Formats: sequence, C-alpha cells, structure tokens
Amino acid sequence: MLKKRITLFLSLALMVLPVWGAQANDVSPDANLSIDEGEGKFDEFFAEEEAGDPLESMNRFFFEVNDKLYFWILKPVNTAYTAVVPLDFRQCFGNFFDNIRAPVWVVNNLLQGKISGAGINLSRFLINSTVGVLGLGDPALQSFGMKPKPGDFGQTLGVWGVGEGAYLCLPLIGPLTLRDSVGFAGDALSHPITYVGITYLDGVAYYTVDKVNLLSLHPGLYEDMKRYSLDPYISMRQVYLEYRRNKVLNREGKNNMLNEL
Amino acid sequence: MVFRNLKQIKMMKYIYTLLVLVCCFFVLNSSALAVSGPTEQLKPTLKSLIDILLDPSLKGEKHKVERRAKIMGHVTQGFDFREMSQRVVGKEWKELPQEKQDHFQSLFTKLLENAYIGKFENYSGQEIQYTGERLKDDRAIVSTQIENNGQLMPVEYIMTKKGDRWMVYDINIEGVSLVRNYMEQFKSILRRDKFDGLVKLLEEKNGTFD
Repeated sequence: MLKKRITLFLSLALMVLPVWGAQANDVSPDANLSIDEGEGKFDEFFAEEEAGDPLESMNRFFFEVNDKLYFWILKPVNTAYTAVVPLDFRQCFGNFFDNIRAPVWVVNNLLQGKISGAGINLSRFLINSTVGVLGLGDPALQSFGMKPKPGDFGQTLGVWGVGEGAYLCLPLIGPLTLRDSVGFAGDALSHPITYVGITYLDGVAYYTVDKVNLLSLHPGLYEDMKRYSLDPYISMRQVYLEYRRNKVLNREGKNNMLNEL
Repeated sequence: MVFRNLKQIKMMKYIYTLLVLVCCFFVLNSSALAVSGPTEQLKPTLKSLIDILLDPSLKGEKHKVERRAKIMGHVTQGFDFREMSQRVVGKEWKELPQEKQDHFQSLFTKLLENAYIGKFENYSGQEIQYTGERLKDDRAIVSTQIENNGQLMPVEYIMTKKGDRWMVYDINIEGVSLVRNYMEQFKSILRRDKFDGLVKLLEEKNGTFD
C-alpha cells in the first residue's frame, strides 16, 4: 500500500518538477571570482542564491503548526524518552536506523557515480549487520575506520542537474524543496523497511521513532535556532537550502542534524 | 601534438624546465613579499579565544560577563564586525548616518557574540585543526575542524583583506553561513519594517540574552 502511494506521489511530482525547476534555479556566481581548487569550489561558495519561496504564506502557516507540535508533543515526548532510555542505548538505536538506511546510501552513491562511496557503505552494512549485531554497534567505523557516506535521492537529482524547485515547509515533515520531496519518496522506494510487508501506519511509526531518537541525540537544536534568530522561519529556510545545496556540491556539512529532524 | 624528431623533444624539455623555474621564482617571491596568509593571521585570534575559554579563573556562569568581554576584545582584532553589519543591511547602509551605523554595529555584534561564542562556551580543550585554505585576490576561506560531542564539526572562516590584515566577515558552521543567514532574515524585515524596525527587533532580541 505504501509503495503504491509513493509511486503515485513520485509520478505526480515528476510531472510538476520540470516547471518549478526551470523557475527557481537562478544561481548567479560572482563574476570576479573564477577559481576552482580541489573539492571546495570557490565560485559556488560566494554564489548568492535567492531563495525561491512562492508558497511563503502557506509555508509560514505550517511552520507555526510544526512549532506548536514541537513544543506541545515532540519536546515532552523527547524529554520522557531521554529520561527513560540511557544515552548508550539511544546511540545504538541511532546506529541501527542508520544501518538499515545503508541500502539507500549505496543506491544513491551509485546513481551519483561515487563507486567507492557505494562500496564503503556496502562494506559498512555487511560488517555492522553481522559483527555489529544487527547494526546496533558501528565496528566498521571503530575498528576499520570506515566513515559512512550518506546519499539521498534528492541529492542525486540535484547532481543530475534537476532544479531544487519551490521551498516547502510541510506539517510533521518540516523543510523540503520540491526536488527533495521527490527524493523523499524515491528514498522510501530503496529503503528496506518498505519491503518487509508493513502497513502504512507501521511505516509512520518507524519514521517517528527514528526522528525522536535522532532528536534525543541532538537536543536543543531547534530551540537554539529560534533563540538566535529574528525570523526563525527564514533562518530555517536558509539553513535548509544552504545545507542541501552543499550536499549537491559535495562540500562539508554532513553533520548538520537540524535538517534531518 | 606529435613530436617528429629528437630536436623538438629537446626543445620542449628546455621550455618546460624554464617554465618550472619561472614558476618557482614567482612562488618564492610572492611568499617572501606577502605579510602573512589568512591562516597565520586567524590562528592567534582563535588561540586567544581558546585560552580565555580554558582559563580556570574565568570559567562558570558568574564570570560570563568578564569572559565575554575579554573574548570580544581579542575577537575584534580578527573579525570585521563593520563589514558584517554592512553586508547584512545591504544597499541602505551607505545612506545611514554614522551614529545609526555605529548603533547597528554594536547591536549586531552583540547578537553574533551570543550566537557564535555561545557555541564554544562549553569547550573543553579540543584542538582546532586547520584543514585548508583557499585564496583568491582579497578573499579567503580558512577551513577548520573542531570536535563537538564526539563528532567533527567543520567551521570555515570567510575572510577579506583590509590593508595587510585578513579579517573574518562570515563564519560557516557545518556548511551553513552565519552572517548570510542573518542577511536573509533582515532582508524581509527591512522590506516590512524598514531600518528602524529592524533596530527595534534587534534590541528586543538582545534583551532576551543574559
């Protein structure tokens, strides 16, 4: 059932995507700078990108909804969860969720032509699923020094040159671009959980526990962001867009958990 | 290009050697002339920041005001808050009278102090690694890494050259730029509430800290 819905969503989104992509992909690199050294690209760093946000009023509404959900539900749940489950366990659960996600990373590394990244993810998956006891531990990193190479379908589409499209702030899911919402659906297709015959609700539950656990490992991120910004909606939008653009450009910044919540 | 005879190959070798020599000359020459690079100038600023954070006589909540004051005294040597203020306000900056500029700069500096130094407040001696430097004309990016809760946190310093000083005008933490984030926020506030409205919001925001 979940698969059907996702396929429907994917095909719908693919139809709309090129239109948006054409509209909101105005990158204007600084003409004075034309240096290209190693991995980091100077030009792209200084490129001033305007946030395409034609749906701002709707987004702001859902931002407020999410804000309320955060303080009324997510935060109390997280506080209780953090109090009951010790840190070691939460870190293990975090490893577990990451390990199950490994096939998604392998597929996207391959789609982006990063053969070695795909290989590392695959080795990590094999080692951690066995020696790491179902992925609860991370011996691949601790004993073999293999760092995870995350990749997602939204990033893949970006690498392929698809424009990011309109910025969206969706209830429960949070910040996305149109491209990343297609990516979100695409990743569900390569996620093993989709294929173990669970119901739609189970899928939602899995997603929720994953996110609550992630939040418990990085508490206070959202509140810090709110505390130091004058317009949290724009601050979050900017953080998200910059973070995603960096992902497509393959620069550092993969640890920014704010966007994964 | 295909080389038909030995003479041509010899000639190419000669030209190549000459080129290498010329390049060496330029590299040596420019490094001898340059005052010092962005990384060398950033290091002492961050070093003093760390020394203050690690100073046991300045630790704890009750020394916060003193500690912050000391830090800011050093940070202003290497961070250009004027430039940052100018960038976040944009075009309108030049039309503002001096005292309004100064007032804005002090407000924005206070905000950044809380947002940036706050992140390092529970710092406990992890080493800052300098992982790279990219340079183009009067702009530079210095990449660093610092361990934070067991994870490596990349922090990049975006710098510009003022006279012979390299000054930081943006900080990029985990791939997200601090000053540009404020620039985007202020854009819509300036459009809606004008400059005076922005100043009022900043004053209110700063009032919520400490």
